[in-house]
Amino acid sequence: MEFTHFVSFLPGWLPLTQSVRHGSKAVTRHRKPMHITKQKLMAVTKYIPPKPAAPPGAYPSQTRQVQEESGLILLKKRQLKNLFQDFKMIAVAQNNGSNSEDLMILKNRLHKHGIMIKFFPNQIMQSFLNDSVYSNMAPLFFGPTVLLVSKNPKVKEMLTTLRASPQMTLLGACIEDTLLSIQGLMSYSKLPSVTTVQGELISGLTMLTSQTAVMLQRHPAHLSALLQQYIKQQSTDSTEGAPQAEAAS
Amino acid sequence: MAAPGKTAVLLKAVKKIVVQFCPFESNARSTREFLAVVGSEKVRATNINCEVLSTVKHDKSEPVVDITYVDGEVLVMKGAKLTSKEMLSTFQSCCVAKDPQAKAAAKK
Repeated sequence: MEFTHFVSFLPGWLPLTQSVRHGSKAVTRHRKPMHITKQKLMAVTKYIPPKPAAPPGAYPSQTRQVQEESGLILLKKRQLKNLFQDFKMIAVAQNNGSNSEDLMILKNRLHKHGIMIKFFPNQIMQSFLNDSVYSNMAPLFFGPTVLLVSKNPKVKEMLTTLRASPQMTLLGACIEDTLLSIQGLMSYSKLPSVTTVQGELISGLTMLTSQTAVMLQRHPAHLSALLQQYIKQQSTDSTEGAPQAEAAS
Repeated sequence: MAAPGKTAVLLKAVKKIVVQFCPFESNARSTREFLAVVGSEKVRATNINCEVLSTVKHDKSEPVVDITYVDGEVLVMKGAKLTSKEMLSTFQSCCVAKDPQAKAAAKK
């Protein structure tokens, strides 16, 4: 806008308002305060840089990697399954430091009784046991352990053979699907065999019948005398019982 | 875990080691590892006269290691809350403490 300067004719007189010809500039030497609408626009369209990801090992991965079991592990598991099915007696012992000679001698001695020594890695053993019925055996398998398996539970012979080697410590056994501790094993070894137990049972049951058979086979006079004695006893008991009852009342 | 470390465990001053534990308990792990190390060939070869006995029980008792030294001292370690490394280090330090004494006395 143009305004003409008033030039006074009187010296020393200046007007009250002095209007300037130029307006405000866009490019200034100082920081010009932003208009409020421009401020809002700038805030809305601000650039947000992407956050740098954490280094690869900083946090545990959210997905759990389940490794597929290798062929060897599957083979061992199958062997274990067959072992548990075939062999009735499976004993677990810890061997801390038997050398190969001791092991060989022990293997030889046990083989005479039909007991085999088996080695399995503890990890595979534990994963197999936890899946199967025998999960309570799992805490036994720590450290250097050895499996002693046999089809017939020959506990006594096993105990005597193991006593010879000081390094092998028996931890427990699974005989015919029952988990036994050491004390259980000792009492199992002291049990008589099945045939003797059967014989004892039969003799106990037939004792009474055999007695009557023997009595009948003897001379009938003996039997009649016994029966008469029995009747006498019955009568005396009843007569004794009656006066006692009277005395009590 | 298994190896005793740079200084092998010396059993020269030890007369008897009795280890008892209950294998079905979960707190017997460290005691079993201790037994495995102490019963190994290398360690037993340092002193053939030393007996290593292990008793297996089933009464939910705590695992205990009893070590009898030649001079009559007895070290009892209750392994329920200890790791095998701690037990081994204590045992080793006690053995080493006893052993130079005996050697120095023998030399003098």
